[in-house]
Amino acid sequence: MNPSAPRVLQGLAANLLSEVMPNISTPFGQQLVGIAAMLEMMLAEEFDRAADRLVTENRVVRELLAEGRALLGEGCPTSVAAAIAAPAAPTLRVPDLQRENDLLRAALIDLHAAVEQAPGEAARAFEERIWAELIESTRRRQFASRL
Amino acid sequence: MEDALARYLASRLEANDVRVTNLLRIPGGASRETWMFDAEWTAPSGERQTGAFVLRKDPPASLLETDRETEYAFYSAFWGSEVPVPRMRWLENDASILGGPFFIMDRILGCESATAKIIAPPYTAVHPQLAENMYRILGAIATFDWRGTPIERVAEPPTPETAWQRELDHWERILDTEAMEPQPIMKAAIRWLRANPPPPAQRISVVHGDYRVGNFLYREDGNIYGIVDWEMAHLGDPLEDLAWSFNQSWHWAKDGRPGGIVDRAAAIAHWERYSGLRADPQALYWWEVFSHVKCQGIWVTGARSFQEGRTNELILPLVAYSLINAQDQYLLRTMGRIP
Repeated sequence: MNPSAPRVLQGLAANLLSEVMPNISTPFGQQLVGIAAMLEMMLAEEFDRAADRLVTENRVVRELLAEGRALLGEGCPTSVAAAIAAPAAPTLRVPDLQRENDLLRAALIDLHAAVEQAPGEAARAFEERIWAELIESTRRRQFASRL
Repeated sequence: MEDALARYLASRLEANDVRVTNLLRIPGGASRETWMFDAEWTAPSGERQTGAFVLRKDPPASLLETDRETEYAFYSAFWGSEVPVPRMRWLENDASILGGPFFIMDRILGCESATAKIIAPPYTAVHPQLAENMYRILGAIATFDWRGTPIERVAEPPTPETAWQRELDHWERILDTEAMEPQPIMKAAIRWLRANPPPPAQRISVVHGDYRVGNFLYREDGNIYGIVDWEMAHLGDPLEDLAWSFNQSWHWAKDGRPGGIVDRAAAIAHWERYSGLRADPQALYWWEVFSHVKCQGIWVTGARSFQEGRTNELILPLVAYSLINAQDQYLLRTMGRIP
């Protein structure tokens, strides 16, 4: 087996910091090397998790949209039904999964706005479920290595 | 670039023997390339002269798309006031000279601006002085009489009632056009901001637009010698700057203190004392929520510039990977949604 992409990126970052950085004489050049190393560490994490994150999130958001449509009935934005009806990503390639994610999360914005305007306890409870998913979405995207 | 710069200075200084040395790009400056250099020349009087300068040059694309003439006007207006700024020298819109429009200012010598240094010794010993000076100067910006200055030519004043709306409209438009992914958290915040507008501004003031630790020049004596990076300056509600300085993106010490140098209550007390204005808690909260939307607008603009190949500045993807999701989390924290 080849060394994994995350491991290679981590190795690149380590070499940049230990072997290249000390030989750079200008502050701007040193900053550039530091940025490159940091980016490689983050890309290593993202490479490892991106497909899993998107598959998980797309499923969760699809379920929320379906529940929201049931809750709001005719008051549900048309974008929600359109997103639900749209086919899932044709492959597990990250750009395909990301396109599906963009469609679903754009519909989630419309659903969230509509639920905010809806009266009743069920709407308030569902609003909190949307917030819970939005909070969880930031955890899925969080990096162990960041600025 | 040294030769082109020397030729340009020769025409401006009426000297034919300008020598440019020590030309170095300065780290940071994600919105405009920032360079420092020294120059020597013989004045028309025959006297040999030297100068230390900073050059700010428009890049092909950046975190911000702003008007250099506006930035130049704000710097010029404050020259000689109690708000310390470097002296402006020349503004050049001809992109053929250095590969982009630029302006040149005097360099303030012997100062630091790095955020990593201000949170470590020896500067930790003068944090109280630095903090008081930071908010004293912000008070002076808030009460500065901009009428009759170069600012009047480049900045349109909003009414006290519409200051919030103009900024929110502007940054929502940027978020809508620049973001490459939906922004459900930011959009929820924007809906809240529109449904809960702040009271009218107490006055229409100069708003620096990026007032924070990292955008001023300081020394070990605890004094501040220059306020820089005026590219987002405008006229508006002075609370905007105070709230911006509190944004978690600038909590450099990661200890909850704005800028890593001051606690929030002390900052507010200094600002109120020196500005004579009141930091109404509800209005301040509105501007703090808004500050996250504006930050995100900046980060997504840089991300798109890089993605579309208009620039290869590596700071832009780093900011995108580091801060776009983090900014959502900072907003959630401000809104009390996460601890």
